[in-house]
Formats: sequence, C-alpha cells, structure tokens
Amino acid sequence: MTSPYLNSALIDSIVGLVLVKAGDRSNVMTVSFFSEVAHHPTSLWVSIAKSTYTHSLIEETGKFSLVVLNQTQGKLALACGTSSGRDRDKCAGLDLYPGPEGHLFLNGALASTACSVRQAVPVGDHTLFIADILHADMESRKSHLRQLLLSDLQKI
Amino acid sequence: MQGICGILSSQGEDETALFVSATFAQVSLTPPLVVINPNRTYSIEPAISRTGRFAINVMPASSQEQIIRLMAARRRQPNRADVVGLVVSESEHRIPFVAGALQTLFCEVESSIDAGDRKLYVARILETRTAARVELPLLFSAVSGGPRRYVALQRGVRTVLARSGALDILKKSYHRLRPPAPPDIALNTYEEAGATESEIATIESYGLLDQSRRLSPPPKARPVTRSLGVCVVGTGWGSFHCNLLRQVNPAAKLFVCGRNPDKTARLAKSVKAEDFFLGLDQAVADPRVQALIVALPHDLHRTAAEQIAAAGKHALIEKPIATSLADADAMILAAKRAGTILMIAEDMHFRPAVTEAVKRIFAGEIGEPLYFFGHAAGVRRPRGWAAQAERMGGGVLMDMGVHYVRGLRLLMGEPESVLASRAMQIDTKISGEDNVQLIFSNSVGWEGHLILSWASARGHLPDIVIAGDKGTIHLWPGTSYIDLYPQDPPLIPRLLSMVRPYWLQEKLMRPQFGRVRISLPEKEASGYQAEVREFLAAVAEDREPASPAEDARRDLEIVLSAYEALANQRRVQVVQVKS
Repeated sequence: MTSPYLNSALIDSIVGLVLVKAGDRSNVMTVSFFSEVAHHPTSLWVSIAKSTYTHSLIEETGKFSLVVLNQTQGKLALACGTSSGRDRDKCAGLDLYPGPEGHLFLNGALASTACSVRQAVPVGDHTLFIADILHADMESRKSHLRQLLLSDLQKI
Repeated sequence: MQGICGILSSQGEDETALFVSATFAQVSLTPPLVVINPNRTYSIEPAISRTGRFAINVMPASSQEQIIRLMAARRRQPNRADVVGLVVSESEHRIPFVAGALQTLFCEVESSIDAGDRKLYVARILETRTAARVELPLLFSAVSGGPRRYVALQRGVRTVLARSGALDILKKSYHRLRPPAPPDIALNTYEEAGATESEIATIESYGLLDQSRRLSPPPKARPVTRSLGVCVVGTGWGSFHCNLLRQVNPAAKLFVCGRNPDKTARLAKSVKAEDFFLGLDQAVADPRVQALIVALPHDLHRTAAEQIAAAGKHALIEKPIATSLADADAMILAAKRAGTILMIAEDMHFRPAVTEAVKRIFAGEIGEPLYFFGHAAGVRRPRGWAAQAERMGGGVLMDMGVHYVRGLRLLMGEPESVLASRAMQIDTKISGEDNVQLIFSNSVGWEGHLILSWASARGHLPDIVIAGDKGTIHLWPGTSYIDLYPQDPPLIPRLLSMVRPYWLQEKLMRPQFGRVRISLPEKEASGYQAEVREFLAAVAEDREPASPAEDARRDLEIVLSAYEALANQRRVQVVQVKS
C-alpha cells in the first residue's frame, strides 16, 4: 500500500492525524499538509483532499481534531493513511479518548488539538480548512520524542 | 505544531528579509502549492507582499547554531544575514536564497488570506533545488529556547524524566503549589506570542526595521610597515600624539611643529623626532613630511587643514572638525580638491568596547535598545584658549559632546531631535558652559540622554549605558571589557532572589552576580592607537579612512543643534542625514 503524499510531497514535514466525529460516524486520516495559522486568534490550517471521506465529514460537522504523532508512530500513520474510512472503521483499533465538545483525542501522541473550522478555502485538489484551536492536550510521557516526519515513513 | 525549520527569504525594499519559520507546508498535490504564514511584525511580510516572491530554505540539522543566532538577533536589525554570517545570493527568479540549505523552494504568491496576526500566503513552486548530501532537516524543537549548554545531558535527563513518569509527577506537584490558570489556549497563546490589530499598528508605527543607524564600527586597519614622514603640529596635546605615533608605528619618521622655539625643541628632543619646524609653513613645505597630525586650538583647524591640503599632504586633525559648519565644509572641499586625506581624530569611533557593544546589540543580547545614557563628567578646569568660547567653539558641549554624539550614532543611530538644559555654572573663569544635559530622540523608538560636565565629580560610573528590553550593556572609559546584564539573570542571582528573609538576601546578593563581563581581545582600550593606525593605513594604502571627515561634520552639526536647543530652550530638529 502506498500514498501519493509519500512520493509527491515537495517538502519533508511533520505527520499527524485528523480525527472527525459526525454523529455515530468517525474517521481518522493521516496528514502532512497542516501547520499553524496565527497566534491571535489561535488557529491552524489543515489541507484535505476534496475526494476524501474526511473532507466530507469535516464539511458536515465543521470540527475536527489534529493529532501530532511522535517518531515511533510511523506504522500507525501508514495504517491510517493508505486506506479510506469509507471502506472500514479506521478508528476501531486506536487508543482514543474523548476530548472537549465531542472531539476525539489519541493517547500516546505528542499533542491532540480540538479545532473548529472558521474558513474553508479551495486550493487546487485540496481544501484548506482554517480552524480555531479550542483546546490542546500535551503528552508529558512522550515529550522527549521528536515529531514523526514524512521521511521517516519513506524508510518503513 | 511547529516542525521542520527553515528560513523564508524575500527581497525587501532596502535589503533581503529573512525569517526563521517552522510553519510552512505543502497544501495541494495538483498543482503543487505551499502555504507560509510570515509574522506581520517582521520585515519579511512586507517584502513578500511587495514582490510576491519568496524562497523557503529548508535548513539541515547541522545549521542549528546559526539558526539559533538568527532567531536571537534583534527583530528590527537590518542585514540580519550579515550579523549571523549567512550567505545569501539571488536566483534567476530574482528571489534571494540562503546558501547551505538542504532544499530551496522558489515560490510565487497565488493568493493571500488575512488570518489575524499572521498572513497566509498560498504560493506555487517556480523551482525546487535539493542539495546532494543526505542530512536530517533541522527541527524547530532543536532551536526553540535559544542557545543551550550540555544539550546531550539535558536530552538524557528529559528522556528519563518523561519515560519514568517523573515529569508528570513534578508537573502535578508544581501545579499543587502554584495552581495553573484554567486552560485557555487562545488567551495563553495570545499573551505569549499573539498580537491584536491595534498592537500590530503600534509595533509598525516605529518601523519594522530600525534604519536609523548610518555608521558602523571600523574594520581593523592593516599594520603599516612603510616608513612614513609624519609631523605632529602643536606642542600641548601634540605630545600625546607623538607618543601614540611611536607606539603605533615605530618605523615612522616623526617631526614636530610648534610656534614656541624652546617648547618645540624640547618636545622634539623628548620624543626623539627627526627634526622640528617652527610654523606650519615650514612643516608642509618639507618633502620628508607626507602626513600631519594637527592638535591645535579648534578655531585654527580650518586654516591648518586648507594649508595642508594645498601642499598636497594628508591630515589627521583633532576633534571637533571645526567650530562652524562653514569651516568644516571648506576643510572637506579643500581636501577633495587636492585629492588628499582629511580624517578627524575621533577615538570613540575606534574604541573596542563600542565595537563589541554594537556587535552584542545586533546579536539581540539586549533586545530592542531603548535608552542610551552617556555620562561624561569629571571636574576639569580648562584654561588658556580652551577657556575661551570663541576659540573652543563653546564649552564642554563642543569639547566632549562630539565624542558622545559619535558614540550615540554608532550604538543607537542618527538622532532626529534634541532638547538641552543645564545646571548652574561652577567654573566662572571660562566663557563656555561647564555642564549640559541633552535628550536625543528618534521616531524609530529610542531615546538618548547625555550629561556632559566639567563641573561635577564622576564617581565610579560607566560612561555609556545602553538599556534594552532584554538586557543592559555598561561601557567604561579606558577598560578592556564591557559588562552585560541580561534580563534573565544567571543561576546564582536567580537562586538568591528566592532567599528569605529579605535582609539575608540583601546581605548575600552582589550586583556583579547578575553581570556577564566580556573581555575584549584588544589590549588598547581607548581607541587612540587604532585611530592613528587607521590614518596611517589610509595614507599608506591611498584610500579613504574608515571614518571620513563627513562623519565628524555630522557630529558637529548635531552638537550645533544642541547649542540651538540650549539657547532657545526648545526641542530642535536635527537635519536629517541622507543614506
């Protein structure tokens, strides 16, 4: 299994997961197109391919969680990034816990953030979701680890 | 959220703008687009907005120290690349880029999105260049927090604490002692690093770059091995110059020139001069003399300079350049027409402590320099020509003011206006003022306060203090060190500040505990030798000196503005210097 992001990404970047819960449906997707927007208002952006299941769920709910993975979570990233949530429940095997306002957070990650979409901007084959950060959990026990990089995934 | 660390580069109006960023990322595959979010309070954002082009320079892990220095450099510092030693070139896309990057993406802006205190730029890639070597990219976590010591040890301790859960326990215990504020990520992030529109407007009102500085400390002059014929004119302060010349260039052929035959002969003998001259006419006419060092009363500078230039000889003239701008202009014109060197002996320009302080300011060690305090005091009773305001060009303001105005210009920049006032006259035997205080201002946001006095005792005070929002630098006259007091004090005073009761803390605490004393490599602390060395090097190499006479003319112009402010008791605008 492979992902176009592994071969076509122009820049090495940190890897995370986007978790979305819409009613009784939930999904997780590996992302590397995300970053900070501003310190005031505290916000981030994540860019999601328009064709994905995650994209439709975010459009529906207007909220998501962004989880920053650590360097030991490469296999998890590959597992969540190489198949669609339309075909199977990718959240089933994950060590998730409830964040605020129905957001899903992941145990063992470097950080989990609860986000609310403020603006959606189409950019090429993706949509840039600009979102306010509502809450963040940091994992002290993993703070000695560095972030997972796209280049780490290429070595797996 | 911050990951890979890189440098955004773009061409600003006056210079290349650089900004350390860890928040750039790709945003789409087809077409390949990237997004950056430059900080609006740095010069990078207007540069990208102006040109619509920028480069993302992904830096290697081995560039950690350089990136830390770039991040620590003063926010409004012009030419940050030079300050930290980064090599910047321009690509055929007319986009500046940083040498040594692992990967460089040359980008053109497609659209921008207003997003608060940052602005998002969506850009397409014009070209990607990748270095041949394989190295991990630098991560932001490796450079955040500034320079660090014992990195491996710190990492080891952190790993043990984190994996064992001790970090959690420590955090919980600390929070039990000092309960944290309720989690409010928006408020916490704003207070730590965010800015509202009105805050950004305040920051922008002072300028994103401090362009007020026009002078730079000089590079070290090459030693002169040639035997030059140098005549020192004046037998008072001139004797000091004779000794300086001997120290700087023992091979120089020294001549002495004076009016009084006995005094001149005596000085020539004591400094082992080749010969002596009675009157400047003789000195300039002698073919053995190539350059003259003039230490005469201020009102005689113009005549001497014109005479020396007319004879095709080079001149180093004591400060101030003259007592009026008309005289200064005539001197500069005479040297220009004759194609000779005219340099003014301003030792402040060559003082190693000033050079070091400028370097520390550029490096961001005191943050934004806000206040300059100059304190040139000490009881002195000038007599003879120096007691006559017409010959001196005034009093202490003319005599000492030019030195400290030069210090202000080197350390802070060009003043835009000046206020002046003074205390009572103590020395009634001089016709000039024996004390004055000045306040200089500049709209880029710094102030300079200068006390010049021949009437008040000095005590053990630094003669120059530069105070910034992250620290303070103290300069002492004639010392081969400077003192840095960082805002974040070293460990000992930090620990002592926790000692209770207060009387015990007071007993234990010493001011020097909060100080970092920086020794200067130069043995000669005053700058006098470096000044003469530069003059001789300029003569030997037939080039303009590091500090041309125009610099001294500007010092005089500022001092004359201060005299006007003193006479009229109002703030006076100092004529703007052209860049």
